[in-house]
Amino acid sequence: MTAPPSTEPIIVARDVSRAFDGRTVVDGLSFDVDPREILGVIGPSGSGKTTTVRMLTGTLGRTSGSIRVLGEDPMRFSRRARGRIAYMPQLFSLYEDLSAQENVGFVAALYGIGPFKRRRLIRHALDVVDLTDARHRLARDLSGGMQRRLELACALVHSPDVLFIDEPTAGIDPLLRQAIWDELRTLKQEGRTLLVTTQYVTEAEYCDRVALIADGELVALDTPDELRKLVFGGDVLDVTAERAVDPDMIRQVSGITGVRQPGPRQLIVTTDDAASTTPQIIEALRQAGVGVSSLEEHQPTFDEVFTGLVEQRRAMRGQEARSATEREHAGVRGG
Amino acid sequence: MGDLAQGISHSLVRMASFTGKELREVVRRPGVLASLILGPFLVMFLFGLGYSGYRAPFATEIVVPAESDFSRTAEDYESLAPGRLEITQVGEDRDAAEQRLGDGDIDLLVIVPDSSAEELRAGNQTTIRVAWNQVDPVYDQLATLATSILVSSLNAEIIKRTAAAGITLAEGELGPEVRDISPEVIARPTTAETENVAPTAPQVLNFFGPAVFALVIQHLAITLTALSMVRERLSGQMDRFRVAPVTSMELLVGKYIAYAVLSLAVSAIVGVLLVGVLGVPLLGSVALLIGIVMLLTFASLGFGLLISLVADSERQAVQLSMLILLASVFFSGFVLPVTDFAEWMQYIAYGLPVTHGIAGLQELMLRGRVVDVWMLGVLLGIGVVLYVGSLLRLRRVLRTAD
Repeated sequence: MTAPPSTEPIIVARDVSRAFDGRTVVDGLSFDVDPREILGVIGPSGSGKTTTVRMLTGTLGRTSGSIRVLGEDPMRFSRRARGRIAYMPQLFSLYEDLSAQENVGFVAALYGIGPFKRRRLIRHALDVVDLTDARHRLARDLSGGMQRRLELACALVHSPDVLFIDEPTAGIDPLLRQAIWDELRTLKQEGRTLLVTTQYVTEAEYCDRVALIADGELVALDTPDELRKLVFGGDVLDVTAERAVDPDMIRQVSGITGVRQPGPRQLIVTTDDAASTTPQIIEALRQAGVGVSSLEEHQPTFDEVFTGLVEQRRAMRGQEARSATEREHAGVRGG
Repeated sequence: MGDLAQGISHSLVRMASFTGKELREVVRRPGVLASLILGPFLVMFLFGLGYSGYRAPFATEIVVPAESDFSRTAEDYESLAPGRLEITQVGEDRDAAEQRLGDGDIDLLVIVPDSSAEELRAGNQTTIRVAWNQVDPVYDQLATLATSILVSSLNAEIIKRTAAAGITLAEGELGPEVRDISPEVIARPTTAETENVAPTAPQVLNFFGPAVFALVIQHLAITLTALSMVRERLSGQMDRFRVAPVTSMELLVGKYIAYAVLSLAVSAIVGVLLVGVLGVPLLGSVALLIGIVMLLTFASLGFGLLISLVADSERQAVQLSMLILLASVFFSGFVLPVTDFAEWMQYIAYGLPVTHGIAGLQELMLRGRVVDVWMLGVLLGIGVVLYVGSLLRLRRVLRTAD
C-alpha cells in the first residue's frame, strides 16, 4: 500500500525580509505553496521577485524571517533536498560554446546522473521544450526564445519535485509564452510544485494562486478569481439597456453592492453573487420599462486587478500614515 | 555501503561534468588556444631565428696626441680587444672626437697618454681616458668590460715596450742570457686556457627554450582558469551550482583535471616543437619532464583561481594574468638571474611557480638532471596552499551569496 501524497506545504515563507545596504527590497513576505500547485509571483520589474526566489532557493541569504522548502531551511539544504529542486534563473546563464544537448547533459551531470541514464533524460527534456531538432546547435546560435526553452529543459532534466522559475517568459513572443505556460501546467499535472515569477500580469490566469508583489511587499495572495472579487468587491456584471437608464432603477435589488454608469445605456454592477442577482436585475429594469440588450459577467483584465490592488494598498497606507500623524498631534496636545 | 558507493559515483559524475565542459569550451575556441600556445612559441621561434647572440663591436675612435709615442694604426688597437672594437679613426683632434661621441656617431672614445713609456720609467702612472655615451645598462656593462680589456692590453703593451728597452740596457751588465726572456713573457707572464664543461653548448635558443616552455604552461593555466571561474560567477552559473548538489571540491577537482589534461596536451605539442623542430636538447627523462609540467600546472592553476576570486570582471582577470606574466618575465630568472635581486625580492621571485619551473626545466633539459630538487617541493607547496585557500574561499562563495 502506498502512502497518500503529502498535503503539507512544500514551501513555507514567514515574514521574510531582505535588505541591501540598509534598503529593504523584500519586506515581510509570508506565504505557503502546496504540493502540485503553481504559485505565480507577479509584480513589476524591481518589485523583489528575483530576490524572493533566490532566498527560497538558498542562493541568497535573508535579513530576517524563516523559510522552509521541502521541510528544510534553504541556507542549509541537504544534498537530497537539492536533488529534488530545480532553479531556472532569470538571465541566460548556460554555456554559449556548448550545444543545446551538451548544456542539458552538463546540468544533468551536476545532479549525479550517469552517462547512460543521462542520454534518455536529455532527449526527453529537449522533446518537452521542442528543441530536439536544435540539439546539436551551439547555445550562442539559438534565438532568445530557444535559449529560454533550453534553460527550462536544463531545469527539468533531473525530474525535480519543486521548480523555481524566474521570469520564464520575459522577452518572449506571445505564442511562445503560451507554449511555455502549457508546459508548466503539464508539469503541475505530473505532480510537481512550481513557483513562477512573471512581470506579465495577464499570466496570472495560468496560476493556481497568485502572489502580487509591489515594492517588496505582498499586496495580495489568492486565486485569480478571488483576487478579482477582492478588487471589485464581488462579481461584476456588464449590463447594456435598450435605451438610457438610471442606476437608481436597480439599486434596491438585494445583493448589489455598487453600480457605475460608464455610458447612458451601460451599467457596471458589482454583486455578491452574479448567478442569483442577474434575473432580479432584468426584472427590475423591465418593471422600469427598460429592455436589456445584453447582460454578461464582466471579466476584468489582470492589469485592472493589479492596478486596483496596488491603488487600494497605497490608499490604505496613506490612511494609516494620516492616522499615525493625527495620533502624534493628539499626543502632543494631550501631553 | 550502497549509499557510499552511490555518493562516490555521483561525485565522479559531477567532477567529470566539469572536466568535460571545460575541455569542450576550450576546444570550441581554438583561436584562444592557438594564440596562447602558438603566440609565445612563435615569438620564441622568431627570437631564436633572429637573435644570433652576436653583439656588434663598439665603433671606437682613438685620439693620439701629437707628441705621443703610441701607434697611429687602427689594426694595432683592434688587436688589443679582438672582436670588441671597431676602430673608425685614429686622430689627434680631441675636441672633434668628443663632438662625434656626443652626436652618437661613435660608441667609444679612447684618449691615450702623451708618452707612457717615459712616464713609466720615471715611475709615474699615466691615464688612458675612455668615454662612452649610453643609457642602456647592459651596454654600459659591456663597455666597462671592453674598456677593462683595452686598458689591460694597453698596459701590457707599454710594459712590453719598456721591458724591451730595459733588456737592451741590462744585456751589457747581466750577460746575453737576459736576451732569452722575451718582452711578451715579462708583460704577460701567465695566459689562460678556457673550457665550458656544461653538457650542452650555451646557445640562446637552448637556454631560453625551456624558460619559454615554463612560461607558456604557467600563462595558459592562469589565464584559462581565471577566465573560466570569473565567467561562471558573472554569468550566474554560481547560482545554479549553489542550488545543485555540487560541492566546491567536485567543482575544483573537475576543473583541475581539465586543465591538467590541457596543459599536458599543450606541453606535448610545445615539447615536440622545441625538441623536434628547434633542436633544443632534452638530456633528462620524459617522465620527470611530465612531473615538472604537472607540478607547474598545479601551482599555476592555484594562481588562476586566486585571480578569479578577486577579479570583478573578465577584463580585470586578463589584466591580473598579464601582470603575473610581466612579473614572471622580470623576476623568475627568465631574463636576469634571481640571485641578482635583493634578498627580499628573491622571496617574491620564489613565490612565482614559473621561477621553479624555469630552473627545473632548464636543468632537466640542458643538464639531464634536476640539481635543485627543493624547488620542486616548493612548487608542490605553492600548489597545495593555493588549492586549499581556493577551496575554502569557493566553499564560502558556493554556500550562499552575500
